[in-house]
Amino acid sequence: MSWREAFRVSSVGFSELCFQAVYAFRQGNVLPPGRSKNLLARSRRRVIQSKAVIAAVLGLLAFGAAALIHQKSLNPEVLSSIPVGLFESAVLTGLLSLDVALLWWTGVQVVPILISSGVLPVLEPLPIDSRTLRRVAVILYLRLFDLPALTVLIATPFAVALAMGPLAGLATIPGVLVVILYALALSLLTGRFFLRRIQGSRGGGGRAIVRWAYLVLWLVPAFAMFAFITAAPAFFRALATLATQGPSLASGLLVAAFPFSLASLPVIVSAGAGSTAILSPSIDVVLAAAALAYVALAAWAGIWLSRSVRSLLFVPAQRTAALAPGTWTLRTEGSAWAVLRKDLRIASRTPGYAFLILLPILDAAALGLLTYASPSQGPVVTSLALGAVTTAALLATFFGPAFFAIEVLAYSYGRSLPLSNRSVILGKVALITLMYVVGAGMILGFTLLRFFQPFTFGAFVLAELPAVVAAAFLELGLLFRSARRRGLAITNLYSGAWFAVLVSVPGLLLAGLPPLLFDLVLPSGLMLAVGVMAAVAALELALTIPVAFGRGAS
Amino acid sequence: METTPPGPSPTPLSLTGLSVKYGERPAVQSLSLTVQPGEIYGLLGSNGAGKTSTIKAIVGLVRPDAGEVRVFGRDALRDTLGVKAQVGYVPETSMLYEALSPREFLEFVASVRKMDSATATRRMQSYAEAFRLGAELEEPIATLSNGTRQKVLIIAALLHAPPLLILDEPLNSLDPRSVRIMKDVLLRYVAGGTHGVLFSTHTMEVAEQLCQRVGILDRGVLRGEGTLTALRGRVAAGDASLEEIFLRLTEEEAGVRAAVDSLGEPSA
Repeated sequence: MSWREAFRVSSVGFSELCFQAVYAFRQGNVLPPGRSKNLLARSRRRVIQSKAVIAAVLGLLAFGAAALIHQKSLNPEVLSSIPVGLFESAVLTGLLSLDVALLWWTGVQVVPILISSGVLPVLEPLPIDSRTLRRVAVILYLRLFDLPALTVLIATPFAVALAMGPLAGLATIPGVLVVILYALALSLLTGRFFLRRIQGSRGGGGRAIVRWAYLVLWLVPAFAMFAFITAAPAFFRALATLATQGPSLASGLLVAAFPFSLASLPVIVSAGAGSTAILSPSIDVVLAAAALAYVALAAWAGIWLSRSVRSLLFVPAQRTAALAPGTWTLRTEGSAWAVLRKDLRIASRTPGYAFLILLPILDAAALGLLTYASPSQGPVVTSLALGAVTTAALLATFFGPAFFAIEVLAYSYGRSLPLSNRSVILGKVALITLMYVVGAGMILGFTLLRFFQPFTFGAFVLAELPAVVAAAFLELGLLFRSARRRGLAITNLYSGAWFAVLVSVPGLLLAGLPPLLFDLVLPSGLMLAVGVMAAVAALELALTIPVAFGRGAS
Repeated sequence: METTPPGPSPTPLSLTGLSVKYGERPAVQSLSLTVQPGEIYGLLGSNGAGKTSTIKAIVGLVRPDAGEVRVFGRDALRDTLGVKAQVGYVPETSMLYEALSPREFLEFVASVRKMDSATATRRMQSYAEAFRLGAELEEPIATLSNGTRQKVLIIAALLHAPPLLILDEPLNSLDPRSVRIMKDVLLRYVAGGTHGVLFSTHTMEVAEQLCQRVGILDRGVLRGEGTLTALRGRVAAGDASLEEIFLRLTEEEAGVRAAVDSLGEPSA
């Protein structure tokens, strides 16, 4: 069969993939009402929209970097310490790094969906030859990245050509191709790891730590932009130091490093090797050798990808170790704790849910680090830290309602159990509270290392706690009321996320009001401000409990 | 069995005038039946006859449009949690928490059912041993075979030793050894004379072996109900198999012959 036929077969598979990606029907989610044809069209539209958003971000990055290079005069401080060529190479290095990070991040998110959709295993028993099946797998895999990858491939050379000339634009192409192939290969590698060690991970404390560690890693590309913006000044300072020192082992390594060597090619093409020679006297040789090595590695990655994609789409065979069941025990607990434990266990094998838990916590860690590293003085740092605690509270309450969607996973079976809504709500509220406490605790730890003011920070975190709990009660109470009225799982992350976002609004108001009052009253005294904050938060909690547990809710 | 059936009525299950509709389409129409203490009641029917809709209404997954469901005298529509606590349920399709391992899933179920750890562990271990589940107990459910998932569902239904079992095609995907174990478990289960089992299937041999009484459901309507002897009497065929009785009561006997004839020779 030809590539054309493979493309035709893959189109059918891709429709199924879109449907599963949006509605996750095979995972037991409840389909929204509507004709299946409309649902399919809607799912295709949503997948295209998602790809378009990622592509738009990648396009903006390309043109943003080009604008930075074009408007060099806006960066006099940086250019006073490093040569123009080095500055341009550094900007393009940042761009290519972000491209790899964002494409990889996309892959890390969508590859598990491709696997769980079971598209290729459905095709395997059909009379289709092995070569065509491999082609179908490759096409399906490439279609996950098509719009974003094409944007990188076209927008980056075009933007560089606008800023540095057409030859420089052409010289960007090897770097761009390498970036795309690396991102695709990394996605496949991490997808395999996810399949075997995360989604397919057995129970047990040690394995749970590995799973959560991977999931933290999974989030790192999402923080790439944040990290890049944060680390950019430090990177330019380091470059300036290297440029001042002249050729050294460190500068030689930098020239050879990925993606600096590939990012330097357009600069050398447009301005000559002298523009970066300050780092290495044999810059031509080092750059050529490094770039060739990266291109060769990318070619190998491409071949490996084409051979390995098909095997990725199968769930690995079940291991059948004959262990005695007597070694396993069941530790029972209260229903609400059981709900909390179940949610954490599901999240540890499901990146989508882990993301919701880890994002506020990692955000708090990043803000805590920034607070700790801030060169500002005491009062400024104090307000930074308290602002960070408020952010942790707002993020925890914003993402909280999405945990209701976990109940959709085994909706039918779950409803056959004698599990009250009260227990489910309490379990979810405990999870949201836990996210806030861990996040706020991290900020507190970093801040106390710098300024030992345990009363101020401790009182603020504790005073905000009832407001977070109140927001969680209100949001989940509203969700359950609506679920009860409509008789279906309304908060499917894919098909009904708008409702989860909508109920977050009153929750955010509840969580945000006490810190706002704290700021307003603070000029009259710290004790009074904390007191007002605590009183309002407690009042909010008292008012929202009936919403969660009152008539019509539980 | 530790759970004592509460309330004044010892009848494990009684349905009165139960009707379920999906939009305008009736799935179950005015169905009345009872499962007596010590009885395995077989609910038979073709695909789409309304068996699963009936079962879903009993366990609270579908709200009936009319009628009453009582479990040991408790109204299933009013005392939903109380009724669910009395029931062990095996669904037709195993939509479970795919990301949990069977042990984690059973831990969750046992917790929700308010069992103590020692009892839950002891029962889980004995059922796992009977069904030869070993390392699979720690593998994510998503990676398990259909048969293993079915075993997990059966253990989850039996774990709290409920006085009423509601089983929707429970033997699907099970290997012959496990089918035999399951049959023996069910027969022992009702031997005490207090517990009841409602068992849906379209496998006539299984119903013939296990059930004291059967109800034949066709397009949402109960066409016949009783012991095998009583049903034979009703169709006036003294040695008829349950399959023949089923086809006659659902008026499908002639239809089956016509369908087979229309297929012609397999090689043609």
